[in-house]
Amino acid sequence: MLKAETKRQGLFSRLFNPKFVMVYATLGIFLVIYLFGALMYGSKGFTSIRTFTLMFIDNAYVGISAMGMTMVLITGGIDLSVAAVASLTGMFIAYGTSVLGLDPVACMVFSLLVGTGLGLLMGATIHCLNVPPFITTLTGMFLARGVCSLISRESISISHPTIDALAGWKIYLMRLVDGEWVKIKPVAYINFNVLLMIFMVIVGIVLLQWTRFGRNVYAIGGSEQSAKLMGLPVGRTKILVYGFNGFCSALAGIAYVLYVKSGWNLALAGGELDVISSAVIGGVLLTGGVGYPIGTLLGVMLKSTIPALITFNGNLNSWWAKIATGVLLLLFIVIQRIVVNYSARKKAK
Amino acid sequence: MKRKLNWESIVRSKVFWAVVAEALILLIAVIVRPDFLKIEYNEVTGMLYGVPIDILNRSAEIIIIAMGMTLVIALGGTDLSVGALVAVSGALALKFLRWDVLIYNTPGNYTVMPFYLVILVPLVACTLMGAFNGLLISRLKLQPIIATLILMVAGRGIAQIATNGKQFTTMYTPYQFIAQGHVLWLPLPIIIAAVVLISIALFTRKTSFGMFVESVGVNPNASRVSGLKSNRIIMIAYMLTGFLSGIAGLIYSSRISSCDSNNAGVNNEMDAILAVVIGGTSMSGGKFSLAGTVVGALIMRTIITLVYFFGIVSEAILAFEAVIIAVVIVLQSEPVRKAMAKRGHKKVTGGVVRA
Repeated sequence: MLKAETKRQGLFSRLFNPKFVMVYATLGIFLVIYLFGALMYGSKGFTSIRTFTLMFIDNAYVGISAMGMTMVLITGGIDLSVAAVASLTGMFIAYGTSVLGLDPVACMVFSLLVGTGLGLLMGATIHCLNVPPFITTLTGMFLARGVCSLISRESISISHPTIDALAGWKIYLMRLVDGEWVKIKPVAYINFNVLLMIFMVIVGIVLLQWTRFGRNVYAIGGSEQSAKLMGLPVGRTKILVYGFNGFCSALAGIAYVLYVKSGWNLALAGGELDVISSAVIGGVLLTGGVGYPIGTLLGVMLKSTIPALITFNGNLNSWWAKIATGVLLLLFIVIQRIVVNYSARKKAK
Repeated sequence: MKRKLNWESIVRSKVFWAVVAEALILLIAVIVRPDFLKIEYNEVTGMLYGVPIDILNRSAEIIIIAMGMTLVIALGGTDLSVGALVAVSGALALKFLRWDVLIYNTPGNYTVMPFYLVILVPLVACTLMGAFNGLLISRLKLQPIIATLILMVAGRGIAQIATNGKQFTTMYTPYQFIAQGHVLWLPLPIIIAAVVLISIALFTRKTSFGMFVESVGVNPNASRVSGLKSNRIIMIAYMLTGFLSGIAGLIYSSRISSCDSNNAGVNNEMDAILAVVIGGTSMSGGKFSLAGTVVGALIMRTIITLVYFFGIVSEAILAFEAVIIAVVIVLQSEPVRKAMAKRGHKKVTGGVVRA
């Protein structure tokens, strides 16, 4: 065994490691936009904890899916099928519980298996047949959407005690007043989806930062050739990453079902772009090798502040959100470019 | 011996497998519906009718977009913004046709702005957006997928702002003629697609542009060092794709006589990329085949037309498309093609070098 003789750095220099610069840029821009919202609409309650938790509740499914996407993007791949798989999961659960009268938990387990299976299959196609990830997952997206429409073209609503209980379950944020716990005003709460998202973020961080699997993922993203020459299990890791992403997509589908309580074949159309752009805004490089789950989480939050701001403004149309997202993407990509160029020049010296 | 070697090179080419796939699909179609390939001449209207004409007509937009996409993919990039540009083009055209929509709500056979502006402004706007993509990719060296993602997201927003989020309808006959008119017994979109195909083919194969594109696609740095202005080539390719998406947008909006910023061109980028890849152009850049792209686009449309005959709902067609595309992709994938080419030949001559 090799003895690790690395000098343990101080907390300060570890936190301000230049590799985190994108995460800090995301955090900084998030704070600027939040501050702007607070100055403009603070009196209307933009800064309330309720608004803040609602941002999580409304975007929990994006966050869950973005964790899997982060991992796929770090390997240098891409997955366009996430939204379609989530929609398919919604369809399975809705059709299973409402039409076939099955137990919703069984439907959830089934859709998780299907999502993971489809992910593994796509990963195997990408690795073994050498088909570009873009094309493979595009086919997966068509397949999932098509099967969705084969099951039903109508939106199916779900009313099942288990689903209702899960969707309605919430933890109210409390505070201590005169030795007694009371709900804060305006009422703010966290629901099952938010807990699920936090859990998945932790899973993502642990997998990527503290396991051999995670280090393999970064190595493959850095250079697949080198990873192969070093004897790392490239094929297995890549297939597992797509499998994990499929699992995340199905889980995001479950969260989405709990959020809207219905299944629809065209639900979440274009949702894959939300997920990918969240990850990119959070500092994940599409070329692979760079990215952190916590950055992606910040990206999801930053993206969710824009619709919140537009809602609070009240005069702007919702399509401004699309343009704002485009401008944000441009901004982040340019920052990324500058950072990459800078570090490349530093290395060259 | 010579014939055998030729056979090997044919089997190895991806275009061959695309043509085989199209032939198989047509064979199934003819077995299911014997009149699938029948074309009739109508004396009264002086036009040709039939399923093949319909397939060609309906695939015109994708063929036009995919022409530009072929060059972009040959350069080693992709353009995700084409679908949004289709929406922008339609929205701007209808905006100029119906500038007075706030006052008069009923569509009529008139245009507010001159007709040449109705055609010109969307095309120029789309070309400029293509130039924006090209600028990001050639100057800032951004990854094409992410650079074009910007306009893919923002483009639909721009289209909706142009039309104020509403759908306009027009009854202006010259505008409707673009997609619904007939020239030379054929629907006009087929003629437009043919003209685009021939012009791009002449532009790439009769000038050195096509070779430059392939060279930059294989190795941008080597091409630059050997004196190619790769930035300019990338710019031209993306501007051309923007321009062609603009034409496709005009055809689409003329087909439905209105603009629909939410649904115009949805998934067009995916369809175009699939058409290019099925047609044998590699996503990693390099050699491209315009004929292959046309075959790819026709395969997709033939599948859709065939599945309609079975009375399956339009959204579910995606599943069948996916299955057939998966088969084509597996057939075309490198390991399978190698295995096919190796059969009967112990020695494979002239190994393909791929990065």
